[in-house]
Amino acid sequence: MNLPKTSLSKKIATTLHRNLIFIHGKGGVGKTSISQAIALGLAEQGKKTLWVTIEDPTRPPGELLAQGPCLWHLNCSFKLAFEEYVGLKIGLPRLTQIFIQNKLMQYLAKAAPGVHEIVLLGKIWYERSHYDHVIVDMPSTGYGLAMFQSTENISNLFGAGPLHRDAEAMLKTLRSPEETGHVVVSLPEEMPLRESLELNDFLVRNFKQNPATFLVNRVFPTVTDPTGSQFEEPLEMPRELSDRVNPLATSIEDYARMRTWLESFNLRIWKEAGISFGITRQIPPDFNQRESNLVRLLCEQLTSEAYL
Amino acid sequence: MKPLHPKPLIDQVLKNKRVIITCGTGGVGKTTLSAALGIRAALQGKRTVVVTIDPAKRLATSLGLTQLGDQPTDLTPQIQATLEKVRLNDSNQLHHLPQKITGSLAAIVPDTRKTFENFVRELAPSETAAEKVIKNPIFQVFAKEFSGTNEYMALERLHSLYIQDQYDLIILDTPPTRNTLAFLEAPRLLAQFFDEKLIRWLVLPANKLVATGMKKAFSILEGLTGANFMTHLFEFASGLFSVQENFTVHLKRITELMESPQAGFLMVTAPTPTHEKEVNHFIDTLKSHELHFEGLIFNRTLAYLKRNPAEGTPSAEWTAAYALIDALQKRERQVIHNFTEKQIPICAQLPELARDIHSIDDLFQISLSFDPSTSHSV
Repeated sequence: MNLPKTSLSKKIATTLHRNLIFIHGKGGVGKTSISQAIALGLAEQGKKTLWVTIEDPTRPPGELLAQGPCLWHLNCSFKLAFEEYVGLKIGLPRLTQIFIQNKLMQYLAKAAPGVHEIVLLGKIWYERSHYDHVIVDMPSTGYGLAMFQSTENISNLFGAGPLHRDAEAMLKTLRSPEETGHVVVSLPEEMPLRESLELNDFLVRNFKQNPATFLVNRVFPTVTDPTGSQFEEPLEMPRELSDRVNPLATSIEDYARMRTWLESFNLRIWKEAGISFGITRQIPPDFNQRESNLVRLLCEQLTSEAYL
Repeated sequence: MKPLHPKPLIDQVLKNKRVIITCGTGGVGKTTLSAALGIRAALQGKRTVVVTIDPAKRLATSLGLTQLGDQPTDLTPQIQATLEKVRLNDSNQLHHLPQKITGSLAAIVPDTRKTFENFVRELAPSETAAEKVIKNPIFQVFAKEFSGTNEYMALERLHSLYIQDQYDLIILDTPPTRNTLAFLEAPRLLAQFFDEKLIRWLVLPANKLVATGMKKAFSILEGLTGANFMTHLFEFASGLFSVQENFTVHLKRITELMESPQAGFLMVTAPTPTHEKEVNHFIDTLKSHELHFEGLIFNRTLAYLKRNPAEGTPSAEWTAAYALIDALQKRERQVIHNFTEKQIPICAQLPELARDIHSIDDLFQISLSFDPSTSHSV
């Protein structure tokens, strides 16, 4: 089921204009640049926007930086978010300190399953009311899922009490198509496409009423026109690929042609699952230019496709 | 640029080590590489086993097998069949392939959940004590979610294979983690979990709690989580307490194995600036843990691709593709140059492929392409 181009753009744009937007996908698919490009685009529309990374080890923990007139970046840190949360719950600063500085409580906070994840998610959930848009660069698949799973685990483990109530409230927000958008990013490669279906199964199970939106990133420039269009349905493996004995390419031209066939064939995985998806193309890296340039070019692509 | 030595550095590593641990973040082809390494070692006469901890069972897919499981699956017959096919097509003996495979290759995809339960059973003083831990709802979540259990259990499995002495070489494909270092941290994280002094607090009856600070902290925790959770927590803690002593013994054995000169670490990475930072960080951390870094393996390299003069003048639609490949090749050269400058050993450069890996035949081709100087003389 392929949507016509305009209604697909519209569907993606709707998701990308929600209050809380989670960018999901396995490692290396470009979640960081995509989420940053979306945040940049929304901020340039004059919306107060927060771009969130989760415990990015290359940035100071908990750092909140203004990146433009409407754009902020938060590198969410467990330790700081935990102290903030406990402070909110307990109310009294003295009791909060007793609790936070207690070695055993520190141990439990670190070791107890799900606490780490739910505290980070809770921090994001809390911040959403201060911005028009909060765009979250989620950790790679497994750990990202654990973050959502934690709400349910916590909800089950703590039968009653404030933690249970908070977990339930977070779940409600995550499930609401008015408030939250889930974006699944993949590469046009077999493994990431398949793994993202597993990720999507998880999202469907947990947020049934709030289906995800899909993006394929780093699509190679088309050099041959395998079936008239990349968006036709090559369900059988093209002979160019299946007859090939050696998986290595013989020249640049051979590689580029095979790559076009291969990507078009790989995308059947999503098409067969009834998924419509947007596309961003691979941008040639410029070794001398900074990373911000990539984000700018990606943002221009998203805008020209009317996704933003 | 061709390397001076015709034999890739990787063969020395395969020859000298009994344990090879491949590290790297997701998406760099670690599993494919580990499988191809296994084939190469088997061709060089080693009895080899590849262990991959991977819920997506990617090794299984790339081996064209879906039946891989907790017990070793022997892949030697398939590799022998491929070897015969390749020899038929390689009439010039470019690869100096043996007639018959002298080593062997097996693959294991351990079920980490099962292993963790078995592990607790092994550590616990009695079957009743073990069941008490395993049935606890906190343990159930812990076994599934605690970052570190998968990694730690992989190391347990590695250790038991190591002492069995059934294999000359064990290749461990580490589970995908948020960052490469999470794997190295696993034993320490778990040790923290089994911290004797802290667990002791949890197994004391409430009326024995002398420190008022501790009493206060507990009552706050109970207020936040509810009484039910506290009951499970105390039960879980007393369970942990019973296995703590044995765990310490295991941990020591595993740490010794990882630090031994018989074990080597390889980092699989893509030749991009983002990965460059990660690699530097990884090497520093290995050093600080006194672990043995053997070198880098670059995956998905494009250097071997050249323009085919017979193609004639390209049409306009090719401009973007040429520009992209050219920029990617430049970046790759620069990144590899940076590592060479710093004298970081590069064990192999694996080529980017024209299509996905589907079979043992494909993996076999990759296992012959570890050396960029001989594999693509077009």
